[in-house]
Amino acid sequence: MYVKTLRVVFAKPLYTTLFLVISFFVLSVAIMLPHVGLIRTLWQYESVSVVEILLLTANLYGSLGTNFTILSASYTVVIALLFGIQVTLLAYYLKSIRNKATNLTSVGASGVGGLISGFFGIGCAACGTFLLSSILVLFGAGGLLAWLPFGGEEFGLIGVGLLVYANYLIIKKINAPLVCVS
Amino acid sequence: MEEYHNKNQPNQYLIPLAIVIAGAFVAGALYFSNSGATANAPVAITDTNQPVAAAPEPTGSTDAVRPVTSEDHIKGNPNAPIKIVEYSDFECPFCKRFHDTMNEVMDKYGDSGEVAWVFRQFPLEQLHPVKAQAVAVASECAAEQGGNDAFWKFTDGYFDVTLTNNRTDIETVIPQLVKEAGLDQVTFQTCFESGKYDDHIEADIANAVETGGRGTPWSVMIGPDGKTYPVNGAQPLAAIEQLISIAKNEQ
Repeated sequence: MYVKTLRVVFAKPLYTTLFLVISFFVLSVAIMLPHVGLIRTLWQYESVSVVEILLLTANLYGSLGTNFTILSASYTVVIALLFGIQVTLLAYYLKSIRNKATNLTSVGASGVGGLISGFFGIGCAACGTFLLSSILVLFGAGGLLAWLPFGGEEFGLIGVGLLVYANYLIIKKINAPLVCVS
Repeated sequence: MEEYHNKNQPNQYLIPLAIVIAGAFVAGALYFSNSGATANAPVAITDTNQPVAAAPEPTGSTDAVRPVTSEDHIKGNPNAPIKIVEYSDFECPFCKRFHDTMNEVMDKYGDSGEVAWVFRQFPLEQLHPVKAQAVAVASECAAEQGGNDAFWKFTDGYFDVTLTNNRTDIETVIPQLVKEAGLDQVTFQTCFESGKYDDHIEADIANAVETGGRGTPWSVMIGPDGKTYPVNGAQPLAAIEQLISIAKNEQ
């Protein structure tokens, strides 16, 4: 049922495009987070051309191989793909039930929860979990990372799990017939 | 009255709201990545467990990079038009990767004198307690006794063998590297135990934080015209080369 549903949805070019765009966007945000300062600096220097900035940005995508652990690179890609699927399925579902009442609380919460957890787990250059360490140190709990068995990468794996669950829920919704009750 | 199979109160705005929340999260992530060192400065903790940021209030500006002097550990031409000042942690796995990248950079741009690599200390005590600081001290003691060559021999050697993330047996590795660098063990040990480089390392950490460093490796590229570029993390060789090209064009 689930594979069949995915085939039906992704057979339509519009939804495939939406999936690719969303997945690429999420992946780009994850990879470029540490480099926003550099890109912003380059934009501030008038003598640096747009082409040079774009070339550098393209090269920075290579930091997926240098700025991440194998584990974090893997789940970052998986999270981007799963979130792309999630948004695509939601768009498909919303269109199919247009103007009909439904409740998507659990789907929405799982999807967003998955993305958030996944981003918390993004491990990159900060020699530890990038975003999580940033937030923890705000509360003076940076040392907590050293105590986590995977140094915070657990959150990425939780994110993958939540997104898989959210996708499962939305596929179930898509396949559930809308029936009238009194 | 007709309603659909789910009896809960329908909420047609939930999904757009969820996407907005996700967007807000991404925006928050961007904010955290750009809020300067202030929010993140305490990542770097000294051996007294006091935030380094407590001394100078970090500005997070790469312009705050301490000028390169003969006191620095420099690989390549000290007067090179482009200088890459790296703040590094000996036990950080990404520093190990970036060390290899920088050696490749120097193989390509070092001989021509175009690029100099400046190594400064940024041990992250909270993530790599005791060992990162100890190796930083050891590298300084190697430099004191054997000069710049001994420093780089020690540093290259350590990054070659470190298991990273505090898994390195420094009791074995440090004496071995000291021996390989041809240094006197007793003199080295006296220096190592003296604590004389603690302030120097703290000053490096403070400068890293001032320039916006929140983790390692953190680097600041200084162009021929003095313009500075933040290099966060272990960027790939192609990106560093592109940045060098941009800096060169600024001349």
